[in-house]
Amino acid sequence: MTLFALYLLALLDGLLCGARVSMGRCALIRKRRYYLRNALYGLIGAQVISTIALLALLLAVRFSGHRGELRADLKAAAGRMLWIFVPYAIAVVGSLMLRVIPSTDLRSATSVFALGPLSAIRSLVMIVGVVYGAAPSRLAETKLFGAFVLLLMLSMETVLNFLAARTQARQIGDLLSERPS
Amino acid sequence: MIGRVCAAGSFSPYAACSTLRLVIAAWNPWQPEITDLIVQHDPQTLERVPVGKQQVLNVFHKFGNRQALRAVEALPERDGRLDAHAIDRLLVTVHWEMQRLSEEFYHGPRVHELLRAVIAAIRSYGVAGPLRVVDVGCGIGYNIRWLAAHTPLPAQGVELAGVDLNSALINEAARLARAENLPCQFVHGDAFSAQHSGQIYLSTGVIHHFRGDSLVKFLHRHDQPEIHAFLHYDFQPWFLAPVGSWFFHLLRMRTAIARHDGVLSAARAYSASELTEAARSGAPAFVSGIYGAQIWNTPAPRVFHTLIGVRPSLVKELRLQLGHRAQRLGELR
Repeated sequence: MTLFALYLLALLDGLLCGARVSMGRCALIRKRRYYLRNALYGLIGAQVISTIALLALLLAVRFSGHRGELRADLKAAAGRMLWIFVPYAIAVVGSLMLRVIPSTDLRSATSVFALGPLSAIRSLVMIVGVVYGAAPSRLAETKLFGAFVLLLMLSMETVLNFLAARTQARQIGDLLSERPS
Repeated sequence: MIGRVCAAGSFSPYAACSTLRLVIAAWNPWQPEITDLIVQHDPQTLERVPVGKQQVLNVFHKFGNRQALRAVEALPERDGRLDAHAIDRLLVTVHWEMQRLSEEFYHGPRVHELLRAVIAAIRSYGVAGPLRVVDVGCGIGYNIRWLAAHTPLPAQGVELAGVDLNSALINEAARLARAENLPCQFVHGDAFSAQHSGQIYLSTGVIHHFRGDSLVKFLHRHDQPEIHAFLHYDFQPWFLAPVGSWFFHLLRMRTAIARHDGVLSAARAYSASELTEAARSGAPAFVSGIYGAQIWNTPAPRVFHTLIGVRPSLVKELRLQLGHRAQRLGELR
């Protein structure tokens, strides 16, 4: 259950990362489909990362000399991580839900005062969550696994951002080369 | 000495001072923005003219603005002149990015809120024919495209047009409008020329680019019989504006020029009194004032405020059309 909760949070993070890296890279007015497509890319990225993490987890447990102990240690670490990740996710989703209220000032305020700073501290929250979860663990495998998952999660936004930037540069290059100078 | 301390990479009061100086130099409101300098047009023909990179660098050297110097130094050049094609690519990238600012601040609905009331006031005054709304310095035309996409204005006989001196941005605005089949047009040229003029003028983030007397001259150009109103949106200056703008641009913007110019725009913005004074002196045939300076009648300032100017005969009806929002309208005189 704890691992499943972490998996769902990773998917939510991927979804929002995908949407975030695509912002400011498309100048159309109606771009719901554009954002949905990019959020889907993020979701796929998170799914790939989750699959890699699951495979690593299964391998670690398979080849461990103390499987039962490792399983319990991993579960306890994951439980501790939720204490950091769940409040963060609630803050992000709560800010997004506030935007349902049809006030331009309130919507702008959520963007500037909540979503901006919250997305800025994403990496920090990831690090704090993993350290808080894995540091008290008794087994080195748990700490190593935590560091591995952290690396995967942190690299996801960088990769998505790189891909979005490359697509944007190509689009702008194409459209300017079509025109007479 | 400061350079050596900074190069060592360790924290010291000298390095902190140097960083602070760098930040303050980049916020000095007396200097132009990078985008003011890297694209130049002949004032008569409006043709693009080549820009010497060193000339641009010299301007920021004078202000000790190392952030701007770094951004300009990174721009591609050919024989000492900025590569116009590369600059166009950069400008389009920056404007795509800047559109995000308008989206996050729900600028389209804010413009429509006031424009709708102004149009209704003009109509009730007996102007039944087509009205043309001209967005001056429209860039890639976010406002006009948003109005075309989300409001019934085109169906109500309101022509939506964006005008800019930069042909790369105008071409991009037109391409985006075509891509979404939006009923609006974009033209390269002078917004106040007989060919492109309209009845209502608006702009966003443009008026702070007119410094000194040129602001009054710009507003004076509205003083034409066919113009009924103008709505100019710009950053509202207050002591936290550059800090807030810096934080926003740091989080949201990716290009060095957008980060630099965005913050400098907030530092260079005109106060309400400067704007209204300039409007009253430049366009005395209009009554002018500020709209939407505060949030919900609190002392908290909005990021943008609007310099509004209307013909005196429209004032009563405008207040009526604004309804409960009339309280956002300051004194018009």
